[in-house]
Amino acid sequence: MTAWVQTTIDGLLDGGSYAMVGLGLSLTFGSLRRLNLAYGATAMLAAYIGAWLHARAQAPIWLVVIAMVLSATVIGWYVERLCFAGTHENGSLPQAAPVAGTDGREVVALASSFAVWMQLEQLAVNLLPRHLNPFPSLAASSEWTLGELLIRPDRLLVMVLAAALTLGLAAWLERSRTGLAWRAAADHRTAAHLVGMPVARLQTLAFSAACALSGVAAFAVLSIDAQVTPMFGMWVLLKGLVAAMLGGLGSIRGVLWGGLLLGVVEAHAQTLLGAQGREFATYALLFVVLTGPWWRGDRAWSGGLRA
Amino acid sequence: MSDRIHSASAAASGVNGTLAQAMRDALCHLPGVGSAAGVHAVGLASDMAIMSLLALSAYLMLLVGRVSFGQQAFFGLGAYASGVMSAMFHAPLGLALAAGAAFGALCSWLIALPTLRLSGLHYAVATLAFGEMARVGLSAWHWQIPGEDGPVGPAGIDGFRDIRWLLENNVAPIEYLVLTLLVLLFVLGLLMQTERLRLGVGLRMIGQDDTLAAAQGIAVERVRLFAAAISGGLAALGGGLYAHRTTYIEPAVFDPMLGVHAVGYALLGGLGTAFGPLLGVALDLGLLDASRLLPGWRMVIFGGLVALFLRWRPRGLLDEALVHRLASHWRHLRSGRRTPSVSLPATRRTP
Repeated sequence: MTAWVQTTIDGLLDGGSYAMVGLGLSLTFGSLRRLNLAYGATAMLAAYIGAWLHARAQAPIWLVVIAMVLSATVIGWYVERLCFAGTHENGSLPQAAPVAGTDGREVVALASSFAVWMQLEQLAVNLLPRHLNPFPSLAASSEWTLGELLIRPDRLLVMVLAAALTLGLAAWLERSRTGLAWRAAADHRTAAHLVGMPVARLQTLAFSAACALSGVAAFAVLSIDAQVTPMFGMWVLLKGLVAAMLGGLGSIRGVLWGGLLLGVVEAHAQTLLGAQGREFATYALLFVVLTGPWWRGDRAWSGGLRA
Repeated sequence: MSDRIHSASAAASGVNGTLAQAMRDALCHLPGVGSAAGVHAVGLASDMAIMSLLALSAYLMLLVGRVSFGQQAFFGLGAYASGVMSAMFHAPLGLALAAGAAFGALCSWLIALPTLRLSGLHYAVATLAFGEMARVGLSAWHWQIPGEDGPVGPAGIDGFRDIRWLLENNVAPIEYLVLTLLVLLFVLGLLMQTERLRLGVGLRMIGQDDTLAAAQGIAVERVRLFAAAISGGLAALGGGLYAHRTTYIEPAVFDPMLGVHAVGYALLGGLGTAFGPLLGVALDLGLLDASRLLPGWRMVIFGGLVALFLRWRPRGLLDEALVHRLASHWRHLRSGRRTPSVSLPATRRTP
């Protein structure tokens, strides 16, 4: 029983990181109805810039954090300009297709963001060619004990940060004027445009904010590992995608629950079936959630941004 | 945590270095180090033909308006199935390839049943999830029987060695290349022929607007399922050819990068004709091979170019409009040649 609880706690702590990396993806999808495949690569390049500053310029940690968030924002802006800006104008009216299907431009945005993924990843590898690169460490050396249970305080901190970011962003979307504008632009582009909102600018802003969040998430996750590898981009994209999908793409609070669920399922799959079982469980969970009977019908995510 | 990041994505993306590198190592793997340029060219041509089959399978799904990031799974399943047939049950190559293709088509059809009703994006993610499930499943699959030189069969993450039908039957690489090209030509001919049928028109209609297609009396669901089965079969056929060419396959080769590249080739080359994906493959693998001068910056330049390119030509180089223009131009030329035209010289004489 204790082992089971311990596994669940470990899973929940892992889930914090998953929720954190999924947050930006969900925000992007919610406001643009486009999947940004270059999301993981953006976080990775920002992380490499941070690691470069740390290793080559001996920058202090606060500078690394700022540099990562700034560079993720700038890279996100570049990705948005290149792959996503203007992909709405050429198609039919955004509300014409009842289902967010492949309206041609969506496929193109997917493909070109994939191309940019390759580009950013290569840039990161050019920056630091080694496989393992040191990253500023905030890992705790001791564990807290709670009866027989062990809790790593640094991982707990990441989970609390993830929850705070998620709930904070959700509350901000609900309360603030910009949040309202983002939701309105996501709900109905044309209507938002007609009442005088700068829809394109709002979406660029949301996109960049999502990328800035990915910079924060990358720092939080990597500072526990104290190293970064070229696999990080793929890891961010896949885990984030599963967490965001489980919570319902475009739903901000959903990402938190999705990430925690993913973490718990993975942890238990690992104890039951080993490392491969853990990996299999991730994708099986995603597949079942996507194809399961409860998503059919009109309610199946029609898109849009929800708090 | 770091181990987990590493292991999860190391498995997800091939083991060595960057993803593009892993992909290129996997595909441009050449026998012998000091091999002559001729051997290299034969290997590259075989890879391009095999990759073309995978790109055609992605193209077929794009035609019916779905992006699949899971075609690499059928490629891998076909590779394993045909490898099992030829290496473990000593089936002839043709039978092994056919069995692999049939198995791939069956799997693709089964997966399409629950997923094709999803919207485009969710279908894309569901196929990605399935592709990874298949890859992880293959890396957990152990089934070996005693062979002539030790056990033979799939050995989990270590892969499946000794698929040596070509060596045992003394098939030279150049002969295998001819076989691969013949298969590709056959598939291409079949697809081109389908374009002229009601079925081919239906495929494109569904891709453009499935509601309209349904209103015109096309059985959207059934045609899509059919396209999915055929595309799975094509990918598996390519996988079978790949397995026999390299004699060694491992699950890490069939990672999402492979499938995403296939989609990229189809989109880059163009959705107007079945030659489009081939053009995409030729451009990418050809350029990859040609531009070895800037190893670190190739992907930076190429990726940026592709993204820019897709902005002004969203349906690829050979898109429908261009294909239509070329076709009418061609018809015009032919009709002009057959019936000696009177008007052209006449207009030229009178300024």
